[in-house]
Amino acid sequence: MNPNIIETINITRQAAWLPWAVQYFFLIGISVTAVFLTLPAFLGGNAKYEKIGRLALLTAVSCAIAAMIALVADLHQPGRFWHFYTHFTSWSWMSRGAFLLPFFLVLVVIYAWLVYRADLGRLARQPGTMLAPLYKALALGDKPERWMVRPVAFLTLLSACSIALYTGMEVMVVKARPLWHTPFLPWMYLFTGLVGATGVCLLLNRVIGGNDRGVERGLNRFLLIALGLLMVNGVLWLASGLSGVSAPAHRALLSMSGNVQWLTVAVWAGLSAIVLFVIAWLKPEGTGVITGLIAVHSAWMFRWTVFINGQMLPKMGSGLYPYHFPVGPEGLLGIIGTFGLWVLIIAALTAFLPWDGRVEASGAASH
Amino acid sequence: MEKSRREFLKDVGKLTAGAVTAVAVKPAVAGPQRHGGDAKHRWAMALDLRKCIGCQACTVSCSMENQPPIGQFRTIVSQYEVKNVDKPGKPVDFFMLPRLCNHCDNPPCIPVCPVQATYQQEDGVVLINNEICVGCGYCVQACPYDARFINEETQTADKCTFCYHRVSVGLLPACVESCVGGARVFGDVRNPNSEISKLLDEFDVKVLRPEMNTHPHNFYIGMDGRFEGKVQGEPPVWDIRNAAGKELEEL
Repeated sequence: MNPNIIETINITRQAAWLPWAVQYFFLIGISVTAVFLTLPAFLGGNAKYEKIGRLALLTAVSCAIAAMIALVADLHQPGRFWHFYTHFTSWSWMSRGAFLLPFFLVLVVIYAWLVYRADLGRLARQPGTMLAPLYKALALGDKPERWMVRPVAFLTLLSACSIALYTGMEVMVVKARPLWHTPFLPWMYLFTGLVGATGVCLLLNRVIGGNDRGVERGLNRFLLIALGLLMVNGVLWLASGLSGVSAPAHRALLSMSGNVQWLTVAVWAGLSAIVLFVIAWLKPEGTGVITGLIAVHSAWMFRWTVFINGQMLPKMGSGLYPYHFPVGPEGLLGIIGTFGLWVLIIAALTAFLPWDGRVEASGAASH
Repeated sequence: MEKSRREFLKDVGKLTAGAVTAVAVKPAVAGPQRHGGDAKHRWAMALDLRKCIGCQACTVSCSMENQPPIGQFRTIVSQYEVKNVDKPGKPVDFFMLPRLCNHCDNPPCIPVCPVQATYQQEDGVVLINNEICVGCGYCVQACPYDARFINEETQTADKCTFCYHRVSVGLLPACVESCVGGARVFGDVRNPNSEISKLLDEFDVKVLRPEMNTHPHNFYIGMDGRFEGKVQGEPPVWDIRNAAGKELEEL
């Protein structure tokens, strides 16, 4: 800051990407990386990871559905979303995303259906099940083969990678925002997504997964890997800015330097990562709720900081644009609403679907 | 048989050559194409900072003409108080900087638009079809000048159009028409006899953020290097109320 220049008159620009965008990038990041967590069980065929795989699959499906709603809501003209499909623009990452995203959603749903299919069949045969005809129809046949799970898991993996790529590139190509215009950012999304997805699985394990200690230990161990990757990438990003190796990172640091708000966020993020790492490392059992909550909070905070705080940095003017957090649909209500929707989806899915594969035990009498 | 095979091969050869030429002629990577307007002109603006007194007549006339919602602006004159470090006794100087869309030759806002709602005309003017715009805000992010915003009333992207509705019927943009000091000069840089062309020949003009390679078409006369990019100065006072909501007595 140059004390010899004082900006006396200027205008503010309001954030064009609302908290809905934070919600979208948060949920889709978790959905994409949750797909990765399903792979040891359903692509690798390792039964040891079946429980984690099922928790992750539930996370992937529920977050993907909620993410779509948040994305449409972030448009200022949500009723015009169909313009994406009538005006395809091959050179715009957002347009590419509009085509990649439905594929991902459909694939995740098919993937989950294939995993649940055999159990749906068993549910249909259980005596006294009112929804038996529905389950029978959903199972599509009496003897569902499980061999299709593996190829579909692979296709979903490819689709998940395409979503990680498009969401990362969409933000990275914005040269006008030095905080976004860096190859470190897509990796930050991926690794914070992994941290968040592991966190959601840890919480689901505690709330609906029967608090399985093995699952908790496994997920906490996985959290260490995700956090390790995240911290290495974060430190490299910071170093590239401090040393001036990366011009955008350097400019981004310059525009935040001396600002208490940014310093607080940086210290907060760093401390969260370290505390999370230490707990997950030293006490991987009995801490699932704490590590889960910190992990989810970290993934969310990262996106909030990059999008909302990032948009408070003027491109031409001095200082920061003021941001007044709206309490209505464009702010608090939108955030609560998206999380409410996600809880509702989880409740609906777990109430009616054999997501945990425990049908056989309860329905043993019918065999 | 022998002959027909040779002929067949010849035809295949011709066909392949044709296909190769067709591919070579077509642009390798698809991108936004300019459409509309007349390529005979290239509209641009010169802003003579020596003449700008910061009266905001341009800001007001733009708002009267284009009716953006209250509190949202297509153009503004940023003002800076600059201490004279070389001559400590001298009173501070004021620097006036009119800002508006730069109608860049390489506009970063256009390739990001996912529905091709924003486009550039053959005459260089960057416009938005707000019946196609989905209000995704991607162009707002991509503009390095903070020239774009989401219009609160239309809920679509908005910005300066060089008053295209006026220019296309032979009138000047509202801000140019109302500029009391004649600091804003609008015209066709493809016409060597236009006033703007003469100014560009005469003066060492500067553009904002040249390092972004956007090739802006607002040319500033009398620009100080400290104001070309993001201004590293003390920020303005945004709030006239304190945290408790009480109005501040003295600013």
